[in-house]
Amino acid sequence: MSDEIDLRGLVCPEPVLRTKKLIDDESLKQITVLVETEINVKNLERLAHSKNIDLTSSKEGEHFKVILRRPERLVQDSDSDGEGRIAAASRERAGGVAESVGTVVFLGKNTFGEGDPDFSSSLLNVFLQTIYDSGHRPRAILMANSGVKLLARDSNVRPVLRQFEEAGCDVFACGLCVEFYGLKEDVPTEKITNMFSIVEFMMTADKVISP
Amino acid sequence: MNESFESDVPKLTARVKAGGCAAKLGSAELQSILARVPVIQSPQLIAGIEGFEDAAVYKISDDLAIVETIDFFPPLVDDPFLFGQIAAANALSDVYAMGAKPILALNVLCFPTCDYPMSVLEEILKGGASKVEESGASLAGGHSIQTTDPVYGLAVTGLVHPDKVLTNSGARAGDVLVLTKKIGSGVSLLGLKGEELQPSSQIELFESLTALNDKACSIALGYHVNGMTDITGFGLAGHLLEMARSSKLVVELDIDRVPFFPQAAELAGQGFVPAGTYGNRQSFSEFITYIKDVNLELQDLIFDPQTSGGLLMALSDRDAEHLLRELDAAGIVAASIGRMLEPESEAGHLFVV
Repeated sequence: MSDEIDLRGLVCPEPVLRTKKLIDDESLKQITVLVETEINVKNLERLAHSKNIDLTSSKEGEHFKVILRRPERLVQDSDSDGEGRIAAASRERAGGVAESVGTVVFLGKNTFGEGDPDFSSSLLNVFLQTIYDSGHRPRAILMANSGVKLLARDSNVRPVLRQFEEAGCDVFACGLCVEFYGLKEDVPTEKITNMFSIVEFMMTADKVISP
Repeated sequence: MNESFESDVPKLTARVKAGGCAAKLGSAELQSILARVPVIQSPQLIAGIEGFEDAAVYKISDDLAIVETIDFFPPLVDDPFLFGQIAAANALSDVYAMGAKPILALNVLCFPTCDYPMSVLEEILKGGASKVEESGASLAGGHSIQTTDPVYGLAVTGLVHPDKVLTNSGARAGDVLVLTKKIGSGVSLLGLKGEELQPSSQIELFESLTALNDKACSIALGYHVNGMTDITGFGLAGHLLEMARSSKLVVELDIDRVPFFPQAAELAGQGFVPAGTYGNRQSFSEFITYIKDVNLELQDLIFDPQTSGGLLMALSDRDAEHLLRELDAAGIVAASIGRMLEPESEAGHLFVV
């Protein structure tokens, strides 16, 4: 069931309060709200993040349309192939990515598809910027292999990655890869992660997108 | 609650988009405009607009300077007396931040007489007067006009020895930074408006917002404080950066040591983040490097505009230790939150560790 609510013209924190009430109603699988400012959207992003709700937003004329979706748990404990046990086990681990469902973007190389290197790398930038502009907020963006070069100081992709971070997305690079490509100086330590956590993110995601 | 007002009288904060110091204009926006407005200098003006100072300082003689400041904003709480107290504590703070003593204050009041009974106006002024009285300054009237939205604050004059003015620019490399009062009042106030702030958190918030910085200032003056400012509209990060820029140094902020108001991080994580916080983030982010993982909630809090915030003092390691002990003994919330360092490349940068 879906519900659409017009929250335009309301002063902060009213849009957050009203949306929170809607989220707390577990019977609503998807909620669409209209808000007036980008700040409203950012506050709803924080709310959604704290409640593990997927959020998509788009600018429509003078206002913003925000769609909040309760993520489906794809991996059930009863799965026969063993994934269920891993997911269940991971949920029990404290403080990690255990409850992280939603979309994960995996960048295993620093290009979008194969082709001319410069062109492929600018395509990747366009790809990420388009995700951002269209209002999709993946749960996490993970970088491995040459994908970690996207975090290099002179990378043209760094600004958009920062936008995602500010919108509450986790952005992580594989530590082994950062070391291999000699980027330790460029990649802040808080962005570094390991294979274990990359696997946890992927295994508990609704879907993993890799361009 | 305030439902007893009912009928036609709106809550004081009903129409306010940004109350308190969250109402401050953005730093970048303001600076580009101010650059086009002439600054009328005089040799006697020893602290003015250019060092991002809290107040103007005008030297009258070799041993006397006056400190002049004005601060006002829309209501951030519904209780008019409390609003008056907070506005006055906030206005007086700029004088203390320069190491001065307030001597005279004047009210600035905009009031919609059609929407609120005159008793509300009276309570605002009484709240303000109670804090001016506590500061020891005189209160001699002021100016009021009719407007559509309420605004209150004070113009305050203080006195200081011209050689003992404490500015943003005096911090030295190696200085430890001591902060009084907790951070996160902007987020907490938004939570209050959303009725999500627990009574115990409210009490602590209001105590802090109405507390004068007088005691902290006079205790600090007993030490060799090199630089001082108060934390207001540009948030902790913004004011740290101002100090770094003015002192031509960089700041290292130990985020784990920053005292935050109860519930502030939780509220920020749920989206109770004022517009001013986003504005500050946009203005200052490019000058900030996170050395370690700092979650979004805590990042929001260091950008959060503070109303009637505490003092930020830069002083030597040894002095800081004694100062902290004395502040603690006086019952003032204080913590050592970081230090000033010689820049490796560019000055005016903030490293969060």
